[in-house]
Amino acid sequence: MTDDTTRLTSEVIRREMHSSRAVPATIAAVLVILVCLYVMLEAALKALGQEPWLLGPETAAGWVGSLPEGVSPTVLAAAGALLFLVGLFFFLAAVLPGRRARLSIPNERTAVVVDAEVLASSLARRARIAAGVAPEQVLVTIGRRLVDVQVRPTSGIPVNDGAVRAAVEDELRRTAVEPVPEVHVIVAKSGVIGQ
Amino acid sequence: MNQTPRTVNRILLGLFGLILMLAGGLAMTLGVPAVARWWQTTAAQAGEAIDGVLDATTLAGQRDSWLWIVVALLMVLLVILMLAWVANQGKGRSGTLAYDDDADPVPGSVTINAAVAEQALKAALSERVDLVNSAVSTYEFRGKPALKVRVFPRQGVAPYVVAEEVSTLVAALDEVLGVQTPVLISVSSGARSRFTRAERVR
Repeated sequence: MTDDTTRLTSEVIRREMHSSRAVPATIAAVLVILVCLYVMLEAALKALGQEPWLLGPETAAGWVGSLPEGVSPTVLAAAGALLFLVGLFFFLAAVLPGRRARLSIPNERTAVVVDAEVLASSLARRARIAAGVAPEQVLVTIGRRLVDVQVRPTSGIPVNDGAVRAAVEDELRRTAVEPVPEVHVIVAKSGVIGQ
Repeated sequence: MNQTPRTVNRILLGLFGLILMLAGGLAMTLGVPAVARWWQTTAAQAGEAIDGVLDATTLAGQRDSWLWIVVALLMVLLVILMLAWVANQGKGRSGTLAYDDDADPVPGSVTINAAVAEQALKAALSERVDLVNSAVSTYEFRGKPALKVRVFPRQGVAPYVVAEEVSTLVAALDEVLGVQTPVLISVSSGARSRFTRAERVR
């Protein structure tokens, strides 16, 4: 593989592991467009010397300038809080690292990115076979440094949590996830009947 | 993989969020009498200043300032910029996998269409029973063509096995084409892999 391809491949991995923020960007753009269209309409009406459509610029400015008069304090505070929360949503979308629930697997030729959900279901399959239970009795959650395996045994048949842990760790090692997460196996105290 | 302007997204979103947060915070604190008094005097001063500017820009014989036309045009400009921003999200699909017009060893140009790789990989992947679906697309990444292979395995299929086998296919494709492009294998879960049966007899 050429150096150029290697460099681009690692760049692709970094890009794929983070969100592009395309959805909040599109929402923000649509909101700005709607506001701009309305302001444009009122400004054009004003420039042409026509009557305002909904609210003329002077009336609007006067109303904003005389706040909090004429509005109940509760409504004003609630509207402010709503506006603040919407702003916070967009601000956090921009500032947070935006990591996606994905993992990258080392590969010589290609960039491999795996959804955490796919890995979780393969771990759940290994855990289920090691524990000898039905698919519904195993729940696997993948965090960044921790893999949580919850097993509900069939009533009367004990589950060897050491064997489950070994199976899950073996699968993780084969997948070569970096960094290797810690495996927590929790066997529920009460069993299920008739699986 | 695509050409979504990620830095621009972050800057503009942060700016938009900050403005909304400031406006919201101000509206929330207007209930405090001191803040309300400050706001009303500041607004009155700003209003006078704006009135002065509007009067100064009103041409003789006109009722209103020509600044309103400027405002309307600015809004049109802003709408166009926003539309351009939206249009750039997820951009970057390309139809060319490889292009070469070197005069050495023979003059002439060779173009390999993206459909070659897409259809070859798609056909090879559609035979597999452990995948519910697959999608292959070509993007232009940093000015170079790059392949994106998206595979949707059934529940419980080990992702490293899928990745290994797809990358063998990619290596075979390299041999056939004689060029190496960056390749992304994205092992994803979709609605179809979630709702289909976990295993099939193989």
